[in-house]
Amino acid sequence: MKYCCLFAVLVVLPAQGQIPRLADGKPDLSGGGVWLPRHVADLAPTSGVPFQPWAKLKFQENNAEQRSEMDLRCLPPGVPRIMLQARPFEIVQTPNRILFVYEGGAHVWRQVWMDGRAHPKDPNPNWLGHSIGRWEGDTLVVDSTGFNDQTWLDDAGHPHTERLHVIEKYTRVDPLTMKYEVTIDDPGAYTQSWTSGSSLSFRPGEKLEEDICLDKLSK
Amino acid sequence: MRARFPLVGLAWLALVPVFAQSPVPANPPLAKDPGPFLPASDFPEDKVPKLAAGPAPHLPDGRPDFGGNGAWYPGFNGNLAETKWKGVKSADKHVDVPFLPWTLKTYNQRVENLSKDDPEARCLPVGVPRFMFDPYPFQMIQTRNQVVFVFEGDNYLWRIVTIDPKGTHPTNLKPTWLGDAVGHYEGDTLVVDVTGFNGLAWLDQAGHATSDKLHLTERYTRTDSLTLKYEVTIDDPEAYSQPWTASNTIHWRPGMELMESICQEDEKSSIHMIGNTKK
Repeated sequence: MKYCCLFAVLVVLPAQGQIPRLADGKPDLSGGGVWLPRHVADLAPTSGVPFQPWAKLKFQENNAEQRSEMDLRCLPPGVPRIMLQARPFEIVQTPNRILFVYEGGAHVWRQVWMDGRAHPKDPNPNWLGHSIGRWEGDTLVVDSTGFNDQTWLDDAGHPHTERLHVIEKYTRVDPLTMKYEVTIDDPGAYTQSWTSGSSLSFRPGEKLEEDICLDKLSK
Repeated sequence: MRARFPLVGLAWLALVPVFAQSPVPANPPLAKDPGPFLPASDFPEDKVPKLAAGPAPHLPDGRPDFGGNGAWYPGFNGNLAETKWKGVKSADKHVDVPFLPWTLKTYNQRVENLSKDDPEARCLPVGVPRFMFDPYPFQMIQTRNQVVFVFEGDNYLWRIVTIDPKGTHPTNLKPTWLGDAVGHYEGDTLVVDVTGFNGLAWLDQAGHATSDKLHLTERYTRTDSLTLKYEVTIDDPEAYSQPWTASNTIHWRPGMELMESICQEDEKSSIHMIGNTKK
């Protein structure tokens, strides 16, 4: 018994800093728990964001409203806002697709195609966009387009247009931590692309709960 | 212990004449199918593509494989207990549903007022087992210890079944639309046990009701590459006098991918749902 436990300690301790990996060597972002994003109310970096004039006015208007009309109607928060609200989600990895399954928002899920396909030429604009992904070393890079212009980028109310192109980078830096970097490229709303970030923490053993936004509306 | 069973059996026999003699009010008849809600040309019966089926696939470890490049499509099945409903094919078999008086009354009201209070029409979650009878495609993604269902319909909904051969639910479950689902594999069948419902979802569009004591046993069997047999046992002692089983045959659509569908984006149906104004 003593030897067994000693052995376990020896094995576990060096593994503390090492992230789990799939059979193909890629980082394992899924399994055995949920990810909890840090709440980031305002995505703007300290240097500010390069607004188009209309977008600055729109931001001020949204910011004064405090709560998006879309939230009041229980519509999906969009990307990247769904990654900036402190609501847990799970990542499910399959060979040709990675799924993000969210407790918060509108009980929705999101799919990232890993099969090398391109974005559709004329996408039907939607709430969560069309996402394709690839690995750059240990970083999952998710490229999304095809959004409608109804969502806010964050709780603060940064607006965007249907030309929004989001590049997200997910890096599991240790078993319990994911670095999240996001680049906003929307020439309709910003004069140049801008980058910000956040972090997510892993909660081993936790599960998603059912939370139906419309339940609260009907009460 | 064994000696008790004959006694229980005898006690039961003694009660039978008492039941037979009590003045039991005759049940009202079942409300009739309201019939096709659209001309057949606008809502044709789901045409299953003619494809050659292969054997049911398996994962490398021998578990049945419910996935692949495609999606499952249940078609519109408006009534779990009828083979035809609103002019199109419905569940696989007719069931004489063992209603309790309140569920029979509720069912009849809902059928007669054309399901005007259907929660699904308000974009609320369609619930279990109804999403196996609704015209929205879905996919099943199997990991080592989960089966993740993702749905195009309703609100781009998901559902996670925890695979646990011990089949235990957490205690003190919070009542929910989709319940707490624990599954295991029995040969080629995925068996899912579900409890912890809020009792608000309808079992089908027709309007079979449940209470929050609902307990479901679902059985998913891929009988060939293109076919998923779905069978669900509805055990709800506060709604039905005994458990009953409904089933549906769900077809595989090769190459089908799920599109984002957000019900409340432009929901304009519910204000028009005023029931049956004809007397």
